[in-house]
Amino acid sequence: MSSGGQSSAERGRAAVSRGGEALLSVHLSVDYRNKPEVLREVAFDILPGEAFGLVGASGSGKSTIALAILRLLDMRGGAARGSICFEGRELLNCGEKEMRRVRGRQIALVPQSPASALNPALRLETHFREAWQAHSTRPWKEARTSVRDLLVRLELPAGEAFFRRYPHQISVGQAQRVLIAMAVLHRPALLIADEPTSALDTAAQREILGLLRGLSREFAMATLYISHDLASVAALCQRVGVLRGGRLAECGAVETVMGADARVGLVASGIDGFIHAVNAS
Amino acid sequence: MRRASIAVLGAILIVLLCADWIAPFPYERQFRADVAVPPCRPYRLGTDALGRDRLSRLIYGGRVSMVLAPLAALLAVALALLAGLTAGCLGGWWERVVTTATDLCLSLPWLFLLLAARAMLPLNAGPATSIVITFGLLGLLGWAGPSRILLAAVKRHQRSDFVLLARSEGCPPWRIALVQILPNLRPVAAAQFWVTAPAFLLSEANLGLLGLGVAEPAPSWGNLLREMENLSAVARNPWIAAPLVALVMVVSCFQVAISTGDFEA
Repeated sequence: MSSGGQSSAERGRAAVSRGGEALLSVHLSVDYRNKPEVLREVAFDILPGEAFGLVGASGSGKSTIALAILRLLDMRGGAARGSICFEGRELLNCGEKEMRRVRGRQIALVPQSPASALNPALRLETHFREAWQAHSTRPWKEARTSVRDLLVRLELPAGEAFFRRYPHQISVGQAQRVLIAMAVLHRPALLIADEPTSALDTAAQREILGLLRGLSREFAMATLYISHDLASVAALCQRVGVLRGGRLAECGAVETVMGADARVGLVASGIDGFIHAVNAS
Repeated sequence: MRRASIAVLGAILIVLLCADWIAPFPYERQFRADVAVPPCRPYRLGTDALGRDRLSRLIYGGRVSMVLAPLAALLAVALALLAGLTAGCLGGWWERVVTTATDLCLSLPWLFLLLAARAMLPLNAGPATSIVITFGLLGLLGWAGPSRILLAAVKRHQRSDFVLLARSEGCPPWRIALVQILPNLRPVAAAQFWVTAPAFLLSEANLGLLGLGVAEPAPSWGNLLREMENLSAVARNPWIAAPLVALVMVVSCFQVAISTGDFEA
């Protein structure tokens, strides 16, 4: 599928361009200090309000893309080349101060592991206050009410006692919802959800997916949904990109890339079977 | 065992802090008719060569050592926190400066440095000045070891997922340092304090033994040890060794209190 005159990624980009102006346009290569070309010429676009899925086996570079878009690869010793165009602005040319204004307010991240992403030494209120004060001069006391409304929306306890808890005093599912609440606090245009359901059981996964879908619709928010769980990608996303060996092996509408019976067949075959099928086709 | 050690330390500290009520006499009071007498009533540990009650001097001396050594340790750990946190978070040339200064401080013979620094300061300083100089020097010169450990902890936290999350929220670096990283340094800093405080007690004792510590007539466990310079006198009058017994007991309690590994970062 990826062979021929035009690559699948290019076809994906062309399809988006026909559909309207992209919110995020990525054309990216990434090198790590001891591992050059972890990503090679990965290109895809995301439209405003669209849910775009990124699938691939472990180590294929999915999370690297999330960090590269937020310009946080330095934390893992990586460097990005190419172009990351967000709302017409080239992020790779932005200074750190400018990127801080983008992070959290325009592009937000829901990280993979809720257990380690929340600071063990801080109460939940401090987590919310820090996320709030990063972009708002409104006093936290006033903002608390709207944060409580958000917690209710995310089916979390919104009482004083919950705010005073430490991360180890809440369940993994609650921690994941807290991370989602923190990410959507400033109504970002793009939410990057990096395997947000990988630490959850099936019921909690379903609930989180429902929440992401609802929030995305409610806030007209685009979602870059990174996962190796094909069923969740098929359930949430309109389009999907498949990463393999640092390249975007396939990119297009979910039904086109995964096949009409995506929601049934892929669950059974899993990500490895799927990627094998993509390569074989 | 750890609880018992902390209880003993607490009890000793209470006794020392209540010295004004517990000590039989003021530490500087001389009984010229009772010079160098063995333990008897009212001198439970006898009197020294100047006729001062040994027990009173042991209690008051303990107060100086046991209060000021932890204060000096607090100063050293605070400086180490400042150096480690700023070096780890700012990085670049400042990190190189702090790392080089740390390496240099750790390479120098510590006791010699302390002696040289103390020797450069006036030897005829009054008791209060000598106390401030002795423990101030310990605090100022003792930052390097804790700083290296705290810098390593800061670097580890900087790669953590919670710092990644804070950065992804757009938090500025100074807030990440103060709000996200600093609270996580508390266990390491506490462990450093518990290691440094008994080391400073011993350092003060070394300086006192050499006559470079707290000046007479103010007592400290360090300068009380000077009475033990004459070993044959100690063999004849073993109660002279009371400050040494107190010092070893307190330092042992500190060591037992920190040896159970309750300070995971």
